[in-house]
Amino acid sequence: MRKTTARVVPVALAATLFGAAACGSGGGSGTTSDGRTVVKIALWNYKTTPEFKALIDGFEAKYPKIDVQPVDILADDYPDKVTTMLAGGDKTDVLTMKNVTDYSRYATRGQLLPLTDYVGKLSDKASYAGLDNFDIDGKYYAMPYRQDFWVLYYNKALVGNADVSHLTWDQFDTLSKQLTKGSGSSKTYGTYLHTWRSVVQAIASAQTGGDLLGGDYSWMKDQYDIALDIQKAGATLPFGTAKSQKITYDSQFTTGKAAMVPMGTWWGAALLSEKAQGKNPVDWGMAPIPQVGTDGKVTTFGSPTAFAVNKKAKNAEAAEQFVEWASGPEGAAAVAKIGIVPSYHSDSVMNTFFGVAGMPNDALSKQAMQPSKVQLEMPVSDKSSDVDQILTEEHELVMTGEKSVDDGIKEMDHRVKTEVQ
Amino acid sequence: MTTVPSPSVPAPVSSDRRRRRRHVLVGWSFILPNFLGFAALTLVPVVGTFVVAFTDWDSYSSPKWIGLANFRRMKDDDNFWTALQNTCWYAAGHIPLTLAASLGLAVLLNQKLRGVGLLRTAFFFPYVTSLVAVAVVWNMLLSPDVGPVNQLLRHLGWSHPPGWTTSTDWSLPALILTSVWRDMGYYMVLFLAGLQTIPAELYEAARVDGTGAWKRFWHVTLPGLRPTTFFVLIMLTISSFKVFDLVQVMTEGGPGRSSLVLSQLIFREGITHGRFGYSSAVSLALFVIVLAVTLVQFQFQRRSER
Repeated sequence: MRKTTARVVPVALAATLFGAAACGSGGGSGTTSDGRTVVKIALWNYKTTPEFKALIDGFEAKYPKIDVQPVDILADDYPDKVTTMLAGGDKTDVLTMKNVTDYSRYATRGQLLPLTDYVGKLSDKASYAGLDNFDIDGKYYAMPYRQDFWVLYYNKALVGNADVSHLTWDQFDTLSKQLTKGSGSSKTYGTYLHTWRSVVQAIASAQTGGDLLGGDYSWMKDQYDIALDIQKAGATLPFGTAKSQKITYDSQFTTGKAAMVPMGTWWGAALLSEKAQGKNPVDWGMAPIPQVGTDGKVTTFGSPTAFAVNKKAKNAEAAEQFVEWASGPEGAAAVAKIGIVPSYHSDSVMNTFFGVAGMPNDALSKQAMQPSKVQLEMPVSDKSSDVDQILTEEHELVMTGEKSVDDGIKEMDHRVKTEVQ
Repeated sequence: MTTVPSPSVPAPVSSDRRRRRRHVLVGWSFILPNFLGFAALTLVPVVGTFVVAFTDWDSYSSPKWIGLANFRRMKDDDNFWTALQNTCWYAAGHIPLTLAASLGLAVLLNQKLRGVGLLRTAFFFPYVTSLVAVAVVWNMLLSPDVGPVNQLLRHLGWSHPPGWTTSTDWSLPALILTSVWRDMGYYMVLFLAGLQTIPAELYEAARVDGTGAWKRFWHVTLPGLRPTTFFVLIMLTISSFKVFDLVQVMTEGGPGRSSLVLSQLIFREGITHGRFGYSSAVSLALFVIVLAVTLVQFQFQRRSER
C-alpha cells in the first residue's frame, strides 16, 4: 500500500502543478462580479506614473458601468513585453503606445483596431497635437493623449538675471560657461547635457532639417562642436562620468549642481511631485529650447504618447470609449491637472495646466509651452531601430572623445549606408 | 537517483523482470516532472533555434524558409565579427585569470590558519552578490575622473590612468577585472574541495625527499587537481562565451561597439530588432564555437590522462 502511495503522490503532484499552470494562463471573463464591463489597459510603472490613475479615475467616474483595470509593466520592458503579449494573442483591451515607432510596428502588423472613422468625425481635429504622426496611409490606429517636447529647464537662483528667453546655441554655450562656478564637490555646472543621443542629434535634426535616417550626417557637426566645447570647458558633467556613474538628470538639477538642463516636458510633473514630497528645493522655470536659427521661431522635438485598441480586445466597444475619452478634452483636463502636457490643446486645458500648484506660470514658462514646431524625435520607418543603434554607438564614441566629430560622422554615414538594409 | 535497495529475498525469474521494469518506471516518474519542464522550456526551444536559423521570422508572420541567407549575412556583418572578436578577447582574459586567481586563493586558504573560514566566506561573497549590484559598484569604482581606482593610480604617479568603461581600449579589461573578482570565489570553493582529495601522505613523502614548496605544488598539487581543473576550465569556457548580464549592465556593449559580445548581439537582433531568424543563426554559431572549444579541451584531457 505504501508503495502505491509513493508512486501515486509524485505523479499526482506533477499533474496538479501542470493543471495549475494551464489554468493560470486562462484569463478573466470580461465582466466583474457586479456586472461592470472590464477594460484592461496595458501601461507602465503605474505607481510612479500618475497620469494613468488620473485618467482611469476620471473615466470611471463618468462611466460607472465600466471597470478599467491596469496591467502594470516595467517601463524598460514595456515594448518587448507588449510585443510578446500581442504575439501570443493576448486580449488586453487598451494598449498604451509609448512611442510612434512601436505604434507603427503594431499597426502595420494589423494588431490594432482602426480608429479612422472616429478621427474623421472629429470637428476639432486641429486641437489634437501630434495626431498627424499616427497617420498611416490615411488610417489612424491610436489617439494621442499627451504630447511631450523639449524645453530648457533652469534653476532661477543659479541663472539669476541672465536672459534665457531666446538663446541661440552659441549663446547657450557662453552662458553655460559663465554660470559654472566652484570646483571639486561644491562645483555647480552651467548645464547638464544628458547622455542620450537626442540631446545633440534630435535637436540638430529638428533645427537644421537634417534627416536622421538619411545616411548623411554632416548637419550634426555644429551641434557636436557646441556640446563638446561645453564639455571641454567643464560646464557640464563629463559624458564618461555621467554614463559610468549612471547619473540621472533629475539629481543634477534638484541638487543644484546644474543651472540649465534641456529636457522633455514629462519632467515637469516629476519635479512638482518631488517638490511636494520635499525632495526638490529648487525654484525652477521653463524657457524655449535654444535655437540654431535666429529668426525667432522655436523649433523643438518631442514625441506623443497614445492609446490604441487591441484588435483582439475582449471588450472593444468599451475600450474605444476609453481611448476617445482619454484623448479628448476631458482626458486632457485630467492629465493637465497633474502637470502633464496633454495632446489636446485648448485655452481652458492650458489654464488648468498652469494652475497646478507649484507649476511655474511666469510669462517665459508659458512661452516655452508654445513652440512654433515640434518635430518627431525619430522618424517612423522600419529602419529606425537599426539606425538608432548605430547613432547611439557613434554618439558615445564622439562624446567620450574616442573619436573626433568628423570621424564619428564619417562612421555614421558609412555604417548606416552599409549595415542598414 | 534511481538506485533502489536490492531485494533481500531472491525472487523468481519472471517476477524479477517485472520488478526491474517497475523500478525503471518509478525512476522515470521521479524524473518526469523535471524532464517535462526541461523539455518544454529548454529542449524544444533549443531545437527550434536550429530550425529558425534558416528562416526569416519576426515572431508574428509565419517564418519564411530562406536557406543559408542568414549565414551569408553573418559573414558580411561587421557587428558579428566585432562581437566574436570581443567575446574571444574576453574569454582569453577571463579564463586564465580566473583560473589562476581561484587556484591561488584555494591553495592559500587551504592552510590551517586562524579565521580561515571567515576569509573563505569573504572571497565567496562576490559570487552570491546580485550581479547588477556588482556591475554598478564596479562602474563607480572605475569611473574615470572621480572613481577611487583612478584616484589611487594618480596618487601612484600614473598621470593619465585608463578611462576604463568610457574608453574603447579599456572597456574589455574593465569587464574582465570585474568578472574575475566576482567568479574567483566560486571556483576557489571547487578547488578547495579538490585539494581535500589529495592524500596528505603524498606531501609527506615529498617533504621527506626534501622538495621545496614550489616543487610540491608543481608535482603533487597540480596533478592531484587535474580533474577539478578540467571541470573548472570547461565551466569557465562556457560561462565566458555566453557572458551577457555583466556586459549589459556595465557597458551595454560600449563605448561604441568596443565591448559588444555575441550574446548581446543575439539579444539585440532578436528582441530589439525582431529578427529572430538572424538572431538564431548567430546563436547557432555561438553554439558551434563553444562546442568546438569544449571538444578540444576534452581531447587534451584524454591525451594527458593516457
